[in-house]
Amino acid sequence: MQHLINILIKTIFVENVIFAFFLGMCSFLAVSKKIKTAFGLGLAVIFVMVLTTPLNYLILRYLLFEGALGWIHPSLASVDLTFLSFILFISTIAGAVQLVEMVVEKFLPALYTSLGIFLPLITVNCSILGASLFMQEREYNFAETTAFSLGAGIGFFLAIVLLAAIRERLRYSNIPEPLQGLGIAMIVTALMGLAFLSFSGIQL
Amino acid sequence: MKIAQKLLNSVRPHFKEGGRFEKLHPAFDALETFLFVPGHTTSQGVHVRDAIDLKRTMFTVIVALVPTLLFGMWNVGYQHHLAYGMEASLVDNFLFGFWKVLPIIIVSYAVGLGVEFIFAIVRNHQVSEGYLVTGLLIPLTMPVTIPLWMVALGAIFCTVLGKEIFGGTGMNFMNPALLARAFMFFAFPAYMSGDIWTDLSPEAGHALVDAYSGATNLVTFDANFTKLPSPADMFWGFEQGSIGETSAFACLIGALILIATGIGSWQIIVSCVVGVLVMGLFLNVVAPADVPTHAMHTPAYYHLLMGGFAFGAVYMATDPVSAAQTETGKWIYGLLIGMFTVILRVFNPAYPEGVMLSILLMNVFAPLIDHIVVEQHIKNRKKRA
Repeated sequence: MQHLINILIKTIFVENVIFAFFLGMCSFLAVSKKIKTAFGLGLAVIFVMVLTTPLNYLILRYLLFEGALGWIHPSLASVDLTFLSFILFISTIAGAVQLVEMVVEKFLPALYTSLGIFLPLITVNCSILGASLFMQEREYNFAETTAFSLGAGIGFFLAIVLLAAIRERLRYSNIPEPLQGLGIAMIVTALMGLAFLSFSGIQL
Repeated sequence: MKIAQKLLNSVRPHFKEGGRFEKLHPAFDALETFLFVPGHTTSQGVHVRDAIDLKRTMFTVIVALVPTLLFGMWNVGYQHHLAYGMEASLVDNFLFGFWKVLPIIIVSYAVGLGVEFIFAIVRNHQVSEGYLVTGLLIPLTMPVTIPLWMVALGAIFCTVLGKEIFGGTGMNFMNPALLARAFMFFAFPAYMSGDIWTDLSPEAGHALVDAYSGATNLVTFDANFTKLPSPADMFWGFEQGSIGETSAFACLIGALILIATGIGSWQIIVSCVVGVLVMGLFLNVVAPADVPTHAMHTPAYYHLLMGGFAFGAVYMATDPVSAAQTETGKWIYGLLIGMFTVILRVFNPAYPEGVMLSILLMNVFAPLIDHIVVEQHIKNRKKRA
């Protein structure tokens, strides 16, 4: 149990998807103008992350790995379909995002409009595919995968809400014109990354 | 003073709109308001809730920094003479430190204000007074052996990326002086950690004493905390460290000045202390009993005295720009700084000194803390209505 909590805390703070791996920067920078929308997108990312990464784990484990198909017929025991992992991962993610989109549109129409194109674009949010690929590369088991995906989602959520809060405060700042908008957001991200360096080196 | 006034009055037309040096008006304005109290109070920026001028606010902070500065200068000399086993009088110690520290301060002010003047002239705003404090905070957080070009680099980084790109004093979200230190810490680790805390310029006829150990106290800390200086030494400041950070006593005097004048927030200082004590005591309780030298056993009050905690809590965390602004927010902000400082010191072997990074991290969290506090407040008021 403690091992799982360690993975969770580590992925939220020490190996934050944004500040340590720079994954999912596009929606991170684009949807962080207001705390409310950032909050909504963050929750959507957590949901998609926790749904897809364990699902991808099951697909990988029971369909794609060498010998995984042995349960259908012994002659399939030597088939290795790992090369299909990318395309299957993306399909799972796209399906999950469709689900989220329908739910949000039905129940939270205001959030749906304010998220706009960035809700369907979660499909190509690098942090979500990244989480699945990290899961494959680090050879996590199912419980670890679940803890990891939850941590990665919360890490993204935390980062985007923090950036949104800072950007809301910076609305009153007298930022030089060329830097307004995306420019200052990138610099702020870098400075936040500097502060998050405080976690690097913590052994869990 | 009369002469200066006359001189300023005589050249003023040149700097007014349409004058010969119109472009240099911010420079003139800065000099004039520095010498004489202007007849107007500032109407925008961080201090909008108070009637006093930003320059006087900053000047009070400078006064509050004087004890740490004087003690720091003396300590530089004391540590130097101690390392060589030499007897030195109070004045000798102080003068040695004075001549070591002065160039660092001059470079910091000259470079930082230079950058600020350039921005003020190009962007056509007034030179803000914020750098008066930042320019002194940077040297105080540096080891005395720091090369001067690095001080200049840090001053430029802090003024440009920490402040000016956000529009100047009061518009940034991170403490510029701390940002400079963090930048230098990560960019030049060789100059910012290890055997650098004492000035070891050779003394004719003297060799280093055997007992001299160069590593900062906090590095030996996690192996066995009994190697630390005695609590009394740490309180008065007879230890190695950055120029201004060693003496908790000097910081305490500064804290009294800041609180008495109402410029530093007592809520933040108190909550930082509480945070450290709570976390320290908690770790003492859960510390593994079979490993008596484990860092978690460090007495909670040690964390208040050692390293730069006192300096950070008094002068850095209370920065009104980068701290949380709401009353409840200040308590949360300070508590988190204190707790996180102890966590970093105990659990992160990479950074034995956690104050700098935990304040920076909370600078990042402060806007969110404020937002949550305000939202909660609105919710409560709605419920009452």
